[in-house]
Amino acid sequence: MQILVFVKPVPEAETRLRPTADGRRLDTDGVKFVLSGYDESAVEQALLLKEALPGTQVRAVTFGTSPRSEEVLRSALALGCDAATWVEAPTGSEPELRETVRALAAASRKFPAELYLLGQQSLDTEAGMVPTALAAALGLPGTNGAVNLRFDGSRQLLCFDRERGGEIESWEFPVPGVIGLKQAANDPRAAKLQNILKSRKLPIDRIPASELPAAVADAGTVRPALFTLPPARTGAKLIEYTSPEDAAHKLVRILREEAKVFP
Amino acid sequence: MPDFSLTEEQSSLREMARKFARSEMLPHAAECDRTARFPEEIYRKAWELGLMNLNVPTEFGGSGLSALDICLIVEELAYGCAGMTTSIIANCLALEPILLGGTPEQQHRFLDPFCASYQLASFCLTEPAGGSDAGAITTRAIRHGSGYQITGEKCFITNAPHASLYTVFATVDPKLQHRGITAFVVPRSAAGVQPGKDEEKMGHRASSTSTVRFEEVEVPEADRLGAEGEGFALAMRTLDQTRTPIGALATGIAQAALDHAGSYALKRRTFGKPIAEHQAIQIKLADMATKVHASRLLTWAAAARIDRGEAATLDSSIAKTYASEAAFQVADDAIQIHGGYGYMKEYPVEKLLRDAKLTQIYEGSNEIQRIVIARELLKQYA
Repeated sequence: MQILVFVKPVPEAETRLRPTADGRRLDTDGVKFVLSGYDESAVEQALLLKEALPGTQVRAVTFGTSPRSEEVLRSALALGCDAATWVEAPTGSEPELRETVRALAAASRKFPAELYLLGQQSLDTEAGMVPTALAAALGLPGTNGAVNLRFDGSRQLLCFDRERGGEIESWEFPVPGVIGLKQAANDPRAAKLQNILKSRKLPIDRIPASELPAAVADAGTVRPALFTLPPARTGAKLIEYTSPEDAAHKLVRILREEAKVFP
Repeated sequence: MPDFSLTEEQSSLREMARKFARSEMLPHAAECDRTARFPEEIYRKAWELGLMNLNVPTEFGGSGLSALDICLIVEELAYGCAGMTTSIIANCLALEPILLGGTPEQQHRFLDPFCASYQLASFCLTEPAGGSDAGAITTRAIRHGSGYQITGEKCFITNAPHASLYTVFATVDPKLQHRGITAFVVPRSAAGVQPGKDEEKMGHRASSTSTVRFEEVEVPEADRLGAEGEGFALAMRTLDQTRTPIGALATGIAQAALDHAGSYALKRRTFGKPIAEHQAIQIKLADMATKVHASRLLTWAAAARIDRGEAATLDSSIAKTYASEAAFQVADDAIQIHGGYGYMKEYPVEKLLRDAKLTQIYEGSNEIQRIVIARELLKQYA
């Protein structure tokens, strides 16, 4: 089985992102990029399927600029992916949805697979649109928010779960197709030291931006116009109190009379 | 290395160790410190990821890292928990005599099966009546049949209650002093090997330390490392390799103390402003940062010298001595900046001081290091 797993570099969780001076984009200078959490689950899921079905090949694919693209692919290789492809993005602006889908579809046509896996959404924009849009672009069945992807007993059919309102639905899924993962069957593994060293020496295939199909003439693209920081929080107020009961009374009074949280 | 930049491989190793320390070690550090629990599940995970037998070449199943690589990893691990780090890197110390003094046959015979699964080894040099004075060893190795019989007691042995393999230094003739010392590899399964009870320690409480008693333990000649009388030099060469990572370990403690102090100083307010805006605190923080930086650079310089294959006794002693004393001072300052809270066990900084203390004592006390430094130094003027 051939599996393509799409991974996205996102700023590390503790990063404090700021807009550039002109407010047109986020300043990513010196920001560390890591494999997006849901994509990490997609990689884990691909590796679990590979372990369950010997002979399976897993290729990690990313679309973006250097060096964060290579870094995130090296992480995927260190975790156990067999190959990696970097679809180069034009520098300057962050790719929007249709550019991303066009690029990932181009990679999918170059490396045809039975299964296309990715996180249900990225941890930076949290838009959650790529899995469905990519399935549409490839003309394949697609689903999103899948949990615990697995083969059924016959090893012919893929199954997954989806959590809905406290219930778990079990689904069967025809291949080829595109699945957005919410969670793998296990927590994502950590890369072993030796594999990290080996991954540094593995080749990364490159699809240059010039090889991507030209943008289709359409109604235009949706791009963010302006980035601003949320207003700074105003100072906290410390309540002087003599006992916990006193503190509670004073807090309720402030919430009612000053903050007007309740009448 | 002269430009002090790390390769991509080194950066990724450091990143990996940082992630492991902060997600697997740090969340359990306070609990293991409080209860003196030996977190075997964490050590097992460290082994699975290749963080345990760092200095053992890959052909024997180790990680085959350079001294500098090891230092990068050890600093990050120690940031998570110094005690756990001591237990994780104890194999490096215990196996180094086999790497330096073993024949290829011995190396394969001992290391291949050892590295193939999660196992711990202990370096048995120190005795109740003498640590740094290794020439005064009283554990005897008496010729017996085609091999030896070892009898004696070792103390302060890291991981001893959990180890499956011991490298043991014993004398074939006490009259020969250090020229009688001989190194052996002794499996835990050998009859007469008795590790003692866990010691109750001031710091490094996630690590395990005990005595090991050897009672007429039969050791075949094939398990002797090098010739009779070569053990002292082997122990010293081993410590030349493993002393530098102690500098890295101390640097990790110091960095953790600095980070706690820095973020606390920005949060804690007195006289209407964060204490970080008081010059008395700024000066402290600046001095702490300077010491952390110097510790790291001295450690890297010693490690780079080892990796170039040059004699590194002077550099490694300087790095270990400076970094361990800096770690103690930086942890002390971190407590001072935290004020009363720093003295409370609820806050993480008092543990750092207790952990830092050991780095001034083990792997050759700082007094011995100064003897070594002075001796190496005076050679240059002779």
